[in-house]
Amino acid sequence: MNTASATVPSRLADIVGPSNVVADPAQLAAFAIDDKKPSVSVSPQLIAEIVEIVKFARKEKLAIIATGARTKLGIGLPPRQYDIALNMTRLDRLVSYDPGDLTLSAEAGIPLHKLSAILGEHHQFLPLAAPYFDRTTIGGTIASGVDGPLRQLYGTARDYLLGMEFVTGEGVVAKSGGRVVKNVTGYDIHKVMIGALGTLGVITRINFKTFPRLLSSRAFVSTFQTLERACGMRNRVSQSHLAPVTMEIFSPGVANLFSTETASRIAPNSIPENILGGSRWIFTSGFAGNPNALARYENDLRKMAEECGAVDAAVLEGPQLASAFALKREFIPLALSFSSAATILKISVLPRQIAEALTAATREAESRHLPWVVMARGVGMIYFTILAGESSEATKQQVVQASDNILLACAALGGNATIPWCPTAWKNTLRVWGPPRADFAQMLKLKKAFDPDAILSPGRFVGGI
Amino acid sequence: MDSHAINDLKKLLGADAVLHRPEELLLYEYDGSVEVARPNCVVFPRHTKEVVGIVQIANRYQIPMIGRGAGTGLSGGALARQGGVLVVFSRMNRILEIDVENQCAVVQPGVVNADLSVAVAQTGLHFAPDPSSQKASTIGGNVSENSGGPHTLAYGVTTNHVHSLEAVLPTGELVRLGSPALDSPGYDLPGLFVGSEGTLALVTEITVKLTRLPETVKTLLAIFDTVDDATETVVDITARGITPAACEMLDGWTIRAVEAYVHAGFPVDCAAVLLLEVDGLREAAEQHAEEVADVCRLHHAREVRVARDARERDLLWKGRKNAFGAVGRLSPTYYVQDGVIPRTKLPQTLRRINEIGEKYGFEIGNIFHAGDGNLHPIILFDAREEKQFQRAVASADEIIGFCIEMGGSITGEHGVGMEKDRLMPLLFTEDDMNLMRRVRDAYNPVGLLNPGKIFPDTKGCGEIHVRPLPVAGASRA
Amino acid sequence: MPATPPQSHEDAQREFALTLSGFSATDKPEYEDYSRCVHCGLCSNNCPTYRLWGREADSPRGRIRQMALVDQGRLEIGDTFVTHIDRCLNCRNCESVCPSGVEYGKILELARAQIEQKYKRPFTSRVLRDFIYRRLLPYPKRIAAAARTLRFYQRWGLASLARNTGILRLLGLQDRESLLPKIDSNFFFSELGKTFPAQGRQRARVAFFAGCVAQVTFSELNRATIRVLQANGCEVVVTAEQVCCGALAAHAGVRDVARNLARANFSAFHADDFDAIITNAAGCGSTLKEYSQLFTENEADLESACKFSAKVRDISEFLADLGLVAPLRPLPMRVTYQDSCHLVHGQKIREAPRKLIRAVPSVELVEMALSDLCCGSAGVYNVMEPKAALDLLSDKMHHAQQTKAQAILTANPGCILQLRAGAAIHKTGQEVLHVIELLDRALIKS
Repeated sequence: MNTASATVPSRLADIVGPSNVVADPAQLAAFAIDDKKPSVSVSPQLIAEIVEIVKFARKEKLAIIATGARTKLGIGLPPRQYDIALNMTRLDRLVSYDPGDLTLSAEAGIPLHKLSAILGEHHQFLPLAAPYFDRTTIGGTIASGVDGPLRQLYGTARDYLLGMEFVTGEGVVAKSGGRVVKNVTGYDIHKVMIGALGTLGVITRINFKTFPRLLSSRAFVSTFQTLERACGMRNRVSQSHLAPVTMEIFSPGVANLFSTETASRIAPNSIPENILGGSRWIFTSGFAGNPNALARYENDLRKMAEECGAVDAAVLEGPQLASAFALKREFIPLALSFSSAATILKISVLPRQIAEALTAATREAESRHLPWVVMARGVGMIYFTILAGESSEATKQQVVQASDNILLACAALGGNATIPWCPTAWKNTLRVWGPPRADFAQMLKLKKAFDPDAILSPGRFVGGI
Repeated sequence: MDSHAINDLKKLLGADAVLHRPEELLLYEYDGSVEVARPNCVVFPRHTKEVVGIVQIANRYQIPMIGRGAGTGLSGGALARQGGVLVVFSRMNRILEIDVENQCAVVQPGVVNADLSVAVAQTGLHFAPDPSSQKASTIGGNVSENSGGPHTLAYGVTTNHVHSLEAVLPTGELVRLGSPALDSPGYDLPGLFVGSEGTLALVTEITVKLTRLPETVKTLLAIFDTVDDATETVVDITARGITPAACEMLDGWTIRAVEAYVHAGFPVDCAAVLLLEVDGLREAAEQHAEEVADVCRLHHAREVRVARDARERDLLWKGRKNAFGAVGRLSPTYYVQDGVIPRTKLPQTLRRINEIGEKYGFEIGNIFHAGDGNLHPIILFDAREEKQFQRAVASADEIIGFCIEMGGSITGEHGVGMEKDRLMPLLFTEDDMNLMRRVRDAYNPVGLLNPGKIFPDTKGCGEIHVRPLPVAGASRA
Repeated sequence: MPATPPQSHEDAQREFALTLSGFSATDKPEYEDYSRCVHCGLCSNNCPTYRLWGREADSPRGRIRQMALVDQGRLEIGDTFVTHIDRCLNCRNCESVCPSGVEYGKILELARAQIEQKYKRPFTSRVLRDFIYRRLLPYPKRIAAAARTLRFYQRWGLASLARNTGILRLLGLQDRESLLPKIDSNFFFSELGKTFPAQGRQRARVAFFAGCVAQVTFSELNRATIRVLQANGCEVVVTAEQVCCGALAAHAGVRDVARNLARANFSAFHADDFDAIITNAAGCGSTLKEYSQLFTENEADLESACKFSAKVRDISEFLADLGLVAPLRPLPMRVTYQDSCHLVHGQKIREAPRKLIRAVPSVELVEMALSDLCCGSAGVYNVMEPKAALDLLSDKMHHAQQTKAQAILTANPGCILQLRAGAAIHKTGQEVLHVIELLDRALIKS
């Protein structure tokens, strides 16, 4: 921070009031990103205040990072500069909700679970089953671009986001989209804000399409001796007329992750031993519908599993189902809490390449004796998790080599791979955002249009944007 | 336009692929909309490389360039508002790859929407976006306009079915945006470019998602004696959490026009019909069909018919799909609007449209995607009578104004183009639009690509205030 | 090149308000008809020539626009206009998809009538057209004489001589030669004036329309048609004084000849005497059904035309409605059906021929992709525009071959010729038959 730093808190206090500015280093530790602390945190309650703050920061060349529940700030590269933590949690109002129209508009700081509760009263929900569900805000969920198990049926946020309002790096309030479910007016700017880690603007308000709550649902779980067979099951289901709500494959050893104390808090109802235990690959798929449809799903899935060589099969419902769903949703936090040096590779490939990509990845980990665990979504997203025990230099070298090779293998398959989560100390060596991207130049152009002085979340995004 | 430029284009593409004589250009001054604007030159590239070459020539001579597919657009998106080179993709119409296992396909922009679905039909897949123009419109055009259709209610619009794009930027750079695998790291550039109405890039290759055809489809026709009953049924179906695959409404006036021609079996003495479709797993679709029928009856539907087979289903859809043409038989000139409202506001909005019709003395028919609140009022007028078109536009503007008052939007699927640029300020502030303009300028810095579209401003040439009259009529939804 | 294109309708109106319509007063496309086109463009992908070249000028919408532009005085009836109007196959596929119900075939023929009136074609083209439309087709005797000459050429090896010496290539006729029909030994003219009794209980009394060129090239098809009708309880009268339907002339814009032929047919057939007037040629059928379009409201002939047309039935339409009663033997074969444009698009008959095919035991009907897209025959189009016709044919044979059908069935002599040429050129080994020939084959003959 420059020489004006001493006056920054008071200038910010002029905007939001002194009680909403924190300059105490001890308290600021909570806002640290990759061990970097801001010099001040400010909690606006009005969009006009954000505009003032951004304009002020721009003038003073201060870097701003918007934060919500601060659950996913570890994603991406360490910030190049970090002066102001823009705490969005006071912008937590539901702006409008029209249950009859199945649309809502909410401020970015509203916690996801709170929004879910409101929707639940009207038998509706948002298919945003994101990790850290009980804490995360909608703004943070959108800006970090994390996905959830429901993407099998509902897609990702880009499929049900209707519009957005945000403040650009020049302190201008702008919006795109609208509040109606069908709309082609103007550019879909809100789409580029998804997963942009706040590098284009500070998201202030989000409009969503909501969905009617699912009829009763269940989950089918089966185990397989090999990865190929589990993938075969996935392929079999995707070729059928079944339209499951979720579909995931877990590797052997996931039981370790799912039996920690944290896990049992999240999922108090244990999953049958014959399913979770052992050294088998687990295929799981949730489905929903009326009793006839449920029977059809169960029947068809059992038959398919048998044809695909399943060892065991079970159908979960009620509390067990809820637990299983929570474990799927919270896979990433569970992995991160399991090992202090957990490194999670997010790999996306075409669905038929899951087995191939995973074979390559496991080979790299095994040959270096690195423990690993996997969650792969049926749509082709793989969370390959290296559970390195400690962040020593030697381990780091092993992880770096393994992940570099995995990135290469995925690139060869035409897929994408990044390393959203890893120990901070490794970030300068690991290829956090994967290999350089051909469309990077086009991304830079966008960044310049939104934030010409690069004061928003600088350095964290792809290519150091 | 510089004759050197034309020579350069001919050298690049061959004389057969360059049109520049006035009588040839006259055939590119229109599309499916009511707008008129003529290019100076029309070219037909066959490969991406030729598109790059065209863009380079356009840059060399500083000539505007405009992409065009089949020219079925309804907002003048593919018209050369400020003259220039019209780049027609009708000869770039190859399906490059069909990957059944991964449910995706790679196509050139000139591939006709329905042709892709036909090509993959035997594999049990289809390309889900189904604009009413799908038999003729190209996927490149669908990408530019982010086209929707009757079944987008359940399946989403074009953007939900596009994985990645290859495109030539107006500067001549060839870029690949996104990837066939999901969640390409970085900004969602395909999300931005799809629906940018041809103002950011000329798309040369598209990787699309293919969707499995449903196991069971149930099509219902519900007949109502009042428009309010029909609209309230839509509100109720939505509120009950039933998402039909399609939910279309035709009002009584339109039904009579349609029935005279199509003989779809719509009762001519009713006030409105709803055409509803539910699909999915047999067990689910059957129950949803019953639920939908029950809701219709609860709102005093006089009758609910369920199509018994594919033939009956096709007949019902024929009535819907030919509705605009049928209206065309009543009046050679009509103006179709495209507004969106929250679905809960359907009843009062239709009442308001009726009042506006009375005020201006126009017959206004209503055929629309009720399920997502996307209205298409059809205003009948006589182009040969003085000032009638202006009055038709004025009444349409009043309808759009009401849509916005209701919390809606100025276009649900036709696009802004050159038809609605002047209405943009109703929805967006100057700041909103300035940011969008900046985004445009980031990729289209000199404004050579499709100038004069979307935003109520101009670069280069002077602003165009005159609204063109239609030559004949226009068009459908 | 115009410096500034008109950017508004007012400009455009100003531009053409100064000039007069390029059409003459009679036989012209009328505003009320062509303005129904709302230029939505839904027709374009169904148009064979647009699919080939991707140009607006060769699409139905573009052609209608060109007519409108001529009417508005913005375009002249010159080489460009004539080229694009000539290139149209008149397959009327666009009518099947048009949501606005534009009667494209009707206005196209009127546009061609305008070309006849206002445009001077090159000398050879003039002579050829004059010969075909005015001097040959209207006169059965001349058709017979010409056919005998051609038969001589075909039978005595002159064909191969001409081929081998390259004369045809020199004349640019080598492709057209493969499309030429084989001339029959026994012309159908000999049957004119005869009546064929019904077998079993008489269910209908019909007149048979025998065609013009078909009488020298498809006489066996005609005889088969009569046999199938007889076997299904129809008395068949082949009226003596009948002449060419005039379709080719009408399609070419030679409307005076078409009118005279129509009048001759009104008196040759006493419509009241028959339950139906039957044709086995879809091209003839659609013109016979639309005779009224040749006459204006003030003409006395209009009434005769309507009376006549009301009785006209395509053979497949008629039999499908009447129902087959003749016993049929199984023909174990896989077939595919090519819709004849003037049956499916001109007369909107899609199901009837399929119903008849399915009626034959053991016949497996496999649909080909794009079966209702023109094969390129289109009357004399394959002779006038051979390149386009062969391109279309090549696609057609590809789709037909994919069905692995042993036979391609269709409903019009012109299509049969074209498809036979296609099967030969592309060596598909497929037989090409009229639907009626299939039924005739399956008849259990006593």
